Amino acid sequence: MKTDELIDRLGRDVTVTRPLPTPGMRTAVWMVWALSYLILVAVMMFAVMSSARVTPTPLYLVQQGAALVTGIMAARAALASVIPGANDRVWVVPAIGVATWAAALSWAGVLDLQASGTLGVTSQSDWPCVASMTVGGLLVGAPLAWMLRRGAPLTPNLTVGLAALAALSVANIEACLTRPHAFALTVLLWHGGTVAAIVTLCAIMGHRWLRWPDMTTR
Amino acid sequence: MARAQQGDSNAYGTLRRAITPRVRRLVRSRRGFLGDSDVEDVVQEVLLSVHAVRATYDPARPLMPWLSAIVRHRLADAGRRHARQGAHEISVDDLDVTFQTPVANSREETFGDPDALAQAIQALPPGQRQAVELLKLRELSLKEASALTGMSIGALKIATHRAIASLRRALQGTDKA
Repeated sequence: MKTDELIDRLGRDVTVTRPLPTPGMRTAVWMVWALSYLILVAVMMFAVMSSARVTPTPLYLVQQGAALVTGIMAARAALASVIPGANDRVWVVPAIGVATWAAALSWAGVLDLQASGTLGVTSQSDWPCVASMTVGGLLVGAPLAWMLRRGAPLTPNLTVGLAALAALSVANIEACLTRPHAFALTVLLWHGGTVAAIVTLCAIMGHRWLRWPDMTTR
Repeated sequence: MARAQQGDSNAYGTLRRAITPRVRRLVRSRRGFLGDSDVEDVVQEVLLSVHAVRATYDPARPLMPWLSAIVRHRLADAGRRHARQGAHEISVDDLDVTFQTPVANSREETFGDPDALAQAIQALPPGQRQAVELLKLRELSLKEASALTGMSIGALKIATHRAIASLRRALQGTDKA
C-alpha cells in the first residue's frame, strides 16, 4: 500500500479521542484502588483478631513506608513509560525506592543479629506470604495493567516489570500486616525473592502482553 | 493534533501530510542503509502507531518530542525484526534448479510454438482464459485474481485446472498435426 493511500484511510477512521490524563493523575487513581485494598485487609484483620498483631516500630514503619513509596513511584514510572516523549529514565526513582526498602530491611537484620545473636535465616519459611503476595499482587495490579493498555507500548518489558513492582510493593505491605515476621531477613529473602522473581518474569513476558494495537487497516 | 483528537478529520489530514515528510527524513537520517521500500514500511508503521496512540498526546506539550519518541521506538522495533529475520532466513540468488542426471534437467526445455499456445489460449472459454491470463501469464496470486475478477478462489482453481487440461489437449493435437 502506498503511504498516501494509508494517510487517506487513516483519515476515515478519525473519531473523538479523549487525551489520557497525566501519569501523576492516573497514579493517584490507581493508588485509591491499592489503598482501598490495604484498608480492607487491615479492617478484616482487625475484625478477625480483635487487635492488631503487628507492633509498629520506627524501623518497621520505614520499611513499609519505603515499600509504599516504591509502589507509588513504580506505578507512576510504568504509566509514564507508555507516554511517548516522557522521561526515558523513569526507572531511576523506583530503583532508589527499592534500594531504600532493601537497606531498611538489611539494617533491621543487623539489629536482629545484635539482639538475638542470629539472623533467623533457617528458622522460618514463608510460603504463605509468597502465595498472599502473588494473589494480592494480581488483585492490585489488574487495574494498573488495564490502564497501561491505553498507552503506547514503547518499552513493554520495562513497563510491565515496573507495574509488577508497583503491585507487589503494595502486596508486600498487606503480607507484612497479616503475617508478622520475627526476623527482618526472612522478609528480605522471601518477600524480596518473590518480588524479584515475579518482576523478572513479568519483565521477560512484557512484550507478549503489551503490544501495539492491531495495525491492519480496513 | 489537539483538533484531531476532537475528531476534526481535516485537521488530522493536514497534520498527517505535514508530519509524513518529517518522519521520512528522520527514518532516513537514522537508518541511512535502508532501501526506499524499507523506509516507506517504517514510515507507514509510524503513521499507524501515531494513529493508534493519539490519545497519549498531551495538547499542552509540543508535538515533535512525542512524535520523535514514537519514531525512535518503531525504528528500534524494525531493527529487532530485521535482525530476527536475518538470523532465521538465508537470502539466496534465484538459482537454476539442476539435477545430477542430465536427462532430468529441464532447463533446456522450451515450448516450440508460442503462436499455437497463444491461439489455444484465445480459444479457451472466457472464464478459463481469464484465469490463465491472471494466474499464469500475469502471475497474480489467487487472492489478487479473486479480488480482480470477483470469482471465488475455488472457482479460479477449477477454471485454471480445466484450462490447462484443455491447452494440453489442444497443443498435443497441434503437435500430432
